[in-house]
Amino acid sequence: MFELSTDCSNPQELRGGDYDAYDALYLGDFSCPDYPNNFSSHPETLAEAVRIVKDQGKQCYLRLYAVPSNHELDAVKRVIETATALPFDGFEVHNMGLLRVLRELGCATPLHLGVFGNLYTHETARVLKEYGVTRVYPNPELSLREVVFIKDQTPIEVLIPVHGKIPLVISETCFIMENAHPGAEKCSFFCAKGHWLTRSQGDWSLKDAGRMTLSGKDLCMIEHMDLLAAQGLKHFFVQGHGEERARVATIGRAYRAALDAIAAGEPTASAASLASLAGLAEMGLCNGYYFEGAGQQYVGRQ
Amino acid sequence: MVRPTLLAPAGGLDMARAAVDAGADSLYVGPLGWSRRPYESEMGDADIRTAIDYAGARGADVRVVLNTFPSPFEYQAWLDQAQRFFDWGAAGFIVSDPGAIPRLRARLPTAVLHVSVGSGISNAADAAFYRDLGADLIVVPYRWDEAEVRRARAQSDIGIETFLFATVQTGKICPGKCIMSSYLKFRDWTPLEGKDACYGSANRGAKECYRVCQTRWAFAAADADEAQTAPGLKLRRDAHLMLDQIPGMIAAGVSCFKLSGRERPTPIIRDLVAFYRRVIDGVLDGSATDMAVYADAMAVLEERWVTEKRKRVDTLMARAGRYGEATAPLEAAGLGA
Repeated sequence: MFELSTDCSNPQELRGGDYDAYDALYLGDFSCPDYPNNFSSHPETLAEAVRIVKDQGKQCYLRLYAVPSNHELDAVKRVIETATALPFDGFEVHNMGLLRVLRELGCATPLHLGVFGNLYTHETARVLKEYGVTRVYPNPELSLREVVFIKDQTPIEVLIPVHGKIPLVISETCFIMENAHPGAEKCSFFCAKGHWLTRSQGDWSLKDAGRMTLSGKDLCMIEHMDLLAAQGLKHFFVQGHGEERARVATIGRAYRAALDAIAAGEPTASAASLASLAGLAEMGLCNGYYFEGAGQQYVGRQ
Repeated sequence: MVRPTLLAPAGGLDMARAAVDAGADSLYVGPLGWSRRPYESEMGDADIRTAIDYAGARGADVRVVLNTFPSPFEYQAWLDQAQRFFDWGAAGFIVSDPGAIPRLRARLPTAVLHVSVGSGISNAADAAFYRDLGADLIVVPYRWDEAEVRRARAQSDIGIETFLFATVQTGKICPGKCIMSSYLKFRDWTPLEGKDACYGSANRGAKECYRVCQTRWAFAAADADEAQTAPGLKLRRDAHLMLDQIPGMIAAGVSCFKLSGRERPTPIIRDLVAFYRRVIDGVLDGSATDMAVYADAMAVLEERWVTEKRKRVDTLMARAGRYGEATAPLEAAGLGA
């Protein structure tokens, strides 16, 4: 009835995580090809990863690098060539040029548009369907009303992020290396530690993952899952990039319980879950833009 | 050698007239609510029509900036805007939403369609994708050099438009892949801004980006002490006016040079248009291909440019003054950090 998914960047995260609560995994870090053993840039890791995920009975999607430059396109094509021979259920694409490349390659795997694909309208969703896109992750700025409109008018599957930090900007170079470790000549996985940007006046915080900046607060829709389900939304996503795997597992269990309750026609225990999830969020919770406010705002059920 | 167009900003009628008189081939104007700028740098319909007539009478033309990502609820209004301006004589449109391109191409077959820098392209395959959709020109990233332009030209026959900026910056991709500003503040429309179908952000209409990247940030790992904290960082550095690259860009096949600055004072736009007219014509007719002859004039213009840019960033950041207010409901409920 519902699909709950999350992300997993590399073999260590795949083997070390508990993904029982999830129906599907998006493999790879789309923001940084240099992330250690990133599925998105290490084709030699893919066969074993798909086997592990499929053995757990889950859908398995591969994320492709989001902003390939001209110099990086060939490397992405090599990943695609390997991946198309494996039983992936979809490739996540953020870049229009890559959509064109995939069509030229005759790719038959379903394509999902990723968050940096800038999907704002049903007209664009219709264009993308012609390129093989079957699912879209709307730009986070869209309201819930707009997302539902796109789903129904295109029509197309939409992936709804329900928890985790919101991707705000992607970068071609590593902000952590450039600014927290100036002089470092190569990546030493500095992003393994959470890095925070705090406005000098101290009133805003954002999380920086090196090649991507995320919201400081955690998007949290646990109070509103019944509302989302009532709108006919079925595919939900927990953003886990850069988070401890135990935390991703805990969050997944909370949303699994909510979805199971909705499927059974029972009330969700959202108040208890909300308190638990708030305790995990270093900078607090927000709803993103679903309720037509600034992304950092939180609107409670009441 | 392709004769590139010099495309100049018109944030108001005075600027439109000054830019045409100074030698611009084309103007770009933004209608209220549809062009990623505050209303002070956009134009009402009557002024746009006047600008179209003024430019047309002097051998220039007007491209209308409709580069917001429209709400799905305002798509028809967005298309109707384009039709109206085209009927008045606008030569083309600058757009971001991929879905808009085939719709406009079908409805206005002779319009010149530019893909805005807001589309955030990163490679030559992107350019070919937009050509397939029906676009005529694509604005390439600020940091692309001649080699990147040649790669795009080799992959499709789409026209290449480049800003008259030079930058070595890579880093965070802006505009096109950034919503930091609206995470912190997302404004309602005011009556002056002409519409209310959706909440506004830099990507969605006349709501300016508040230049969050230009504030001062402290940056550190979560467990870092004060000594390990990088203080006072900006997330993004400024670009500089382009000069030395112009002959190479023309040789590489750039078909449009775009000067930014709808929000700047008219005199500096007038002077920059006149300057770049001279530079481009000198390269094309071979009379001045060594950019060193312009060094002194460029230094003066650059200083004026930077001064005006600083004023503008300060204004935008001041407008963002009450970012913190959006957290109040959560904190009141005891759930904020």
